[in-house]
Amino acid sequence: MSTAAASGATALRPPAGRQGPGPVPGALVEALDLAFVRRVGGVSAGEHRGAGVGSGTELAQLRPYQPGDDVRQIDASATARTGIPHVRQHVPERLLTTWLAVDVSPSMAFGTADRLKSDVADGVADVLGAIAVRRGGRVGLLTFGGPATRLLPPRGGRGARIGLRRALAEGVAPDGAGGEPLSLALVRAGRLARPRSLVVVVSDFAGLTDWARPLAALCARHTVMAVEVYDPRERELPAVGRLAMVDPETGERVEVDTADRRLRERFARAVSEERKVVAAALRRAGAEHVALSTAGEWARELGRRLA
Amino acid sequence: MSFASPVFLAALALVPLALAAQVVARRRARRFAVRFPAVATLAPLLPRVSSWRRRLPLALFLASLAALSLALARPHATVAVPREQASVVLVTDVSRSMLADDVEPSRLEAARSAAKHFLEEVPDEARVGAVAFSTDPHTVEAPTDDRSKIEDVLDSLSADGGTATGDALAAALDLVDNGPVARRPPAAILLLSDGETTTGRDPTEVARAARRLRIPIHTVALGTRGATIETPAGMVIPVPPDPETMRRIARLSGGQAFQAEDADDVARIYESLGSRVASKKEEREITVAFAASGGLLLAAAAALGLRGTARLP
Repeated sequence: MSTAAASGATALRPPAGRQGPGPVPGALVEALDLAFVRRVGGVSAGEHRGAGVGSGTELAQLRPYQPGDDVRQIDASATARTGIPHVRQHVPERLLTTWLAVDVSPSMAFGTADRLKSDVADGVADVLGAIAVRRGGRVGLLTFGGPATRLLPPRGGRGARIGLRRALAEGVAPDGAGGEPLSLALVRAGRLARPRSLVVVVSDFAGLTDWARPLAALCARHTVMAVEVYDPRERELPAVGRLAMVDPETGERVEVDTADRRLRERFARAVSEERKVVAAALRRAGAEHVALSTAGEWARELGRRLA
Repeated sequence: MSFASPVFLAALALVPLALAAQVVARRRARRFAVRFPAVATLAPLLPRVSSWRRRLPLALFLASLAALSLALARPHATVAVPREQASVVLVTDVSRSMLADDVEPSRLEAARSAAKHFLEEVPDEARVGAVAFSTDPHTVEAPTDDRSKIEDVLDSLSADGGTATGDALAAALDLVDNGPVARRPPAAILLLSDGETTTGRDPTEVARAARRLRIPIHTVALGTRGATIETPAGMVIPVPPDPETMRRIARLSGGQAFQAEDADDVARIYESLGSRVASKKEEREITVAFAASGGLLLAAAAALGLRGTARLP
């Protein structure tokens, strides 16, 4: 079922300091549910049944009758009230396939606030998986950035969620063992996903912005949401004196005097420039962009942004 | 440079040990670096310190270690210290043979100007006397601080007569031999002669006596082999120098023998003797200099190291 190529020394490892996603309020799942459906449902005038599109039971709106509408949907009470024929428009039930592209590169195993970035990514994947399997939808997973790529083809029901949790529990790539960059993962997702799916990319979007074009191609055929996970200390250096720092992915080592205020300001400016470039690339491609911090409640922020 | 306690030179092994320790410490520090994914963004913003400035504190520290290790071994340096109240007697031959001109302009002139150079070279604390001799030592001037007096003596030299080397040396010895040997200030005799002794005492005996009195006689044999002079009667007689006797005199008395064939030689010899005769080599302990420089280097290393990194190198 899952194609995994894991070899002993370079397999994914649960990162040290893993905290877990933290509590997710149940109300959030409900709130996100509706939000998602509205995004992906796409009610448009004159829509007929397409492949896999069925008529649901949930009422989206009542509107005046137009020639071509299904006459079985005429709402009697509304027509009687107003004198004009009205039809019920239901939320179309589509067999929604959600693809989760989760970043497991070594930079995700970093977090200085309440949890690691990978913890937030796991939580986001779990919540979205829960929503996706409602109403018969399916969820698939592909991980990138590590030495072994994990692929879970779309499945529905509780089994999918369990499979998700198990796959993500394997952890992230160890330091120095980088892997597939985001651009290649997006190309792969474009090949795997059937048209009009929802693709959610959960990553810290570090490194080069060479994924802009594959992302745009993906957005043309699917609905894409980009969940950017960041740690507040990646955006702003704390003043903690001299530090020796090492990059988990490249192993580059530097000695930094964080007491230098000008250095901190320059760093904050450089990082905010980078983030602006990323946000602009996401916007241009047509993806929805949510940025979640490891500090505070990511679930609440996610709900606030999407609902 | 010599060392009073050379066994402590083993402390110099600390220098490569410290270097090795530093290398190991740096390598271990890599394991304790903070993981930070945004290093790629941060690295170009860091102020660049040139590599030699980074290594400077360590180099200063190692240098201070070396200096302190050397100081532990108590180094001694040999310095020339003017002898207190040294006395030098210039014994100059003014026999007729000194008129020969094989040494430009004449042997006598060369001797005169060389002796004057000697007066300039000799330290101010020394006292210089002069004895001029031909058939007998006729000009005797006791060692004095007054350089001009000796200069006058030198200016008044004129050549005539035989060569009574032994008598002249005895006269010179007499000038400086005052008081018991142990307490007497150091003395030396500078003999310049151009030929065999023709009359008077045997100079080698006087040389032995000089040795007993611990007064070295430094000798300069002036002249070349084929030199001649003209007697008043018109005869041409050869006047070669006698280096063997001079060497013997020097050896017996504990002095040095020189040979001079022209004016420059004489001048050079007198110059070197001037500073040597009236000063002595003394070994001074220079431990303090090494310790102080080691301390300064250490302070500099600490100051630079603290500015650059948060730890001492």
